[in-house]
Amino acid sequence: MSGDANDKIGFRYDDQYTPPEPEQVSDVAITTFEHVFEVDPRLMERWVLQQQFPNWDSLRIMNSRGDHLEWIHRHFASKVVTGSELLAEVASENEGAGS
Amino acid sequence: MTIAVERVDEVVTALRTVLRDEQILTSKPDRYNRARVPAPFPVHRWSERLPDLAVLPTSTEEVAGVVRIANDLRVPVVPRDGGTGLTDGAVPLRGGIVIDVKRMNAIKELDLENRTVTVGTGISMLKLNEELGKHGLIYPDDPASYPCSLVGGRIGTSGWSLIGSRYGHTRDLVLSFDHVLPTGDVMHVGDGIGHKISKSSSGYQLKHLFMGHQGTLGIATEATLKLFPKPEAELSPFWAFDNYDDAYRCVGALARAGVATFAGAVLFDEWKVAYLRRDDEAYIPQPEDVRALVCAVMYGYEDEVRPAGRRLFRIAKEHGARYLGDEISEGDWAARHDRYATPLHGRTKTGQVVPMSWHCEDAAVNYTNLPSVSKAWHEIVADLRRRTDVFDDWGMFTYTSGNTGLDYLTEIDVGIWEQQLDDRAWEMWVKAKRDIAAVALAHQGSISACHGSCREGEVDLVPDELGRGFDVMLDLKRQLDPNNIMNPGKYLLDRAYEAGDPA
Repeated sequence: MSGDANDKIGFRYDDQYTPPEPEQVSDVAITTFEHVFEVDPRLMERWVLQQQFPNWDSLRIMNSRGDHLEWIHRHFASKVVTGSELLAEVASENEGAGS
Repeated sequence: MTIAVERVDEVVTALRTVLRDEQILTSKPDRYNRARVPAPFPVHRWSERLPDLAVLPTSTEEVAGVVRIANDLRVPVVPRDGGTGLTDGAVPLRGGIVIDVKRMNAIKELDLENRTVTVGTGISMLKLNEELGKHGLIYPDDPASYPCSLVGGRIGTSGWSLIGSRYGHTRDLVLSFDHVLPTGDVMHVGDGIGHKISKSSSGYQLKHLFMGHQGTLGIATEATLKLFPKPEAELSPFWAFDNYDDAYRCVGALARAGVATFAGAVLFDEWKVAYLRRDDEAYIPQPEDVRALVCAVMYGYEDEVRPAGRRLFRIAKEHGARYLGDEISEGDWAARHDRYATPLHGRTKTGQVVPMSWHCEDAAVNYTNLPSVSKAWHEIVADLRRRTDVFDDWGMFTYTSGNTGLDYLTEIDVGIWEQQLDDRAWEMWVKAKRDIAAVALAHQGSISACHGSCREGEVDLVPDELGRGFDVMLDLKRQLDPNNIMNPGKYLLDRAYEAGDPA
């Protein structure tokens, strides 16, 4: 092991426990990383205390959910038809009818 | 424990004549693990629902041997499959033997020409479909507990499927099965001769009788199932509305459209949207004016799904719908197959987060009665919440049960703070369940479309719902289970033994 600060092996506590500055997204929720939402910490002070996760674990949980949902899609059907494509096709039908 | 200790020894000794030692489980962890079900129950009363022992048979013959012994010794028997039911079918109310079927999970025969598969009932749909997918096939029985519920439990509860509007529900998908009666006799039940016949007019139609009995009439051990081509394409658009009424009209129009690939439509009411906006990352960023949602789902070949999807998009547009986008539409639908994996919490009235278990009361309700039932159910849960923080209204879904928009699986999700569920709160909950069922009946609905109705509260109204039919249930129970050993205490069936000689 070198002592190089850029060494990828190792756990830098401060980095991992410093998530991006939270933004309030609703009365009850904040967001940190993109797609990572948390209950507003003020609402987790009495009965359930908020746990602090290292950044890698927050991202792992978020990405795992995405992987799981992708797997379920493949499990039930070979492909997913995208709604936005159909919406655009219906919109263009209307444009055609109006022209 | 309902069997005296020395009787447990007697039962174990007898079971050793049909099972190996490792198939007979008497330790506390083995018994506690098989008393666990998702529906909340007061923690301080859990010991009331323990089996005295559990067994792990591997064949129909072994199940029959166990039941025969239980019948001879007058020991209760409770079948247990995935243990995911919401009406406590797998919960032993009087101890006895839990028959855990999960080792009977083999695929016995795959008939590619007739499109059937014969399986042990301990297999899960997920594992079965992993194998069927290799042949381009699917068994489309799709409960919200899809990854963890088992084929046998689906038979015992006559389950409801999320995509049943396209493929039918468990009763339509199970062609026939081997069934161990409460005396230990084995019969094969299906249309006529059973096996791979999907429609027969020969004799009584017994298949439905031996589905949905919640383990009170025996145990299905091996089943032959109907298969479909694995869908090439899936489409699951979600649309937003700024009011419930427009969403209600839209879901009705989508369901009545008669689109062949239509697999289901779902209406989320204002309480459900508010709950999702509290705690579901997909909905938190949604605009405030989103007050109700509708989802439609289609499965089939891509050249069927695309034009059908355009038709449904046109209908949605006519009803003022706003498409919610691909990410939420695709992600949320995928998550519907697996609701039991969701960690849950609710809120006190001051907004503080508390750990809560999920419970869901359901009914079968006609389309025209949905708004009235929804209003009445929310009032019942609001009354609970006014009195205690133990209960939290998590909103309502309604799902189409069929492809004509006739009736809907209607459900209200209630968060229950199980650690605080004392005797007083439990009594409040049981009364609320009874009131919820009464509302369904007052609207010409059925107490349950999916879960069953044998839990405390709703079960009190089953005789009212079935009328003379309930007396027939009692007659059948007494005839088929003369010693009341099969899941005793459920569905008020003890009444079958109250007046007169059960023999």
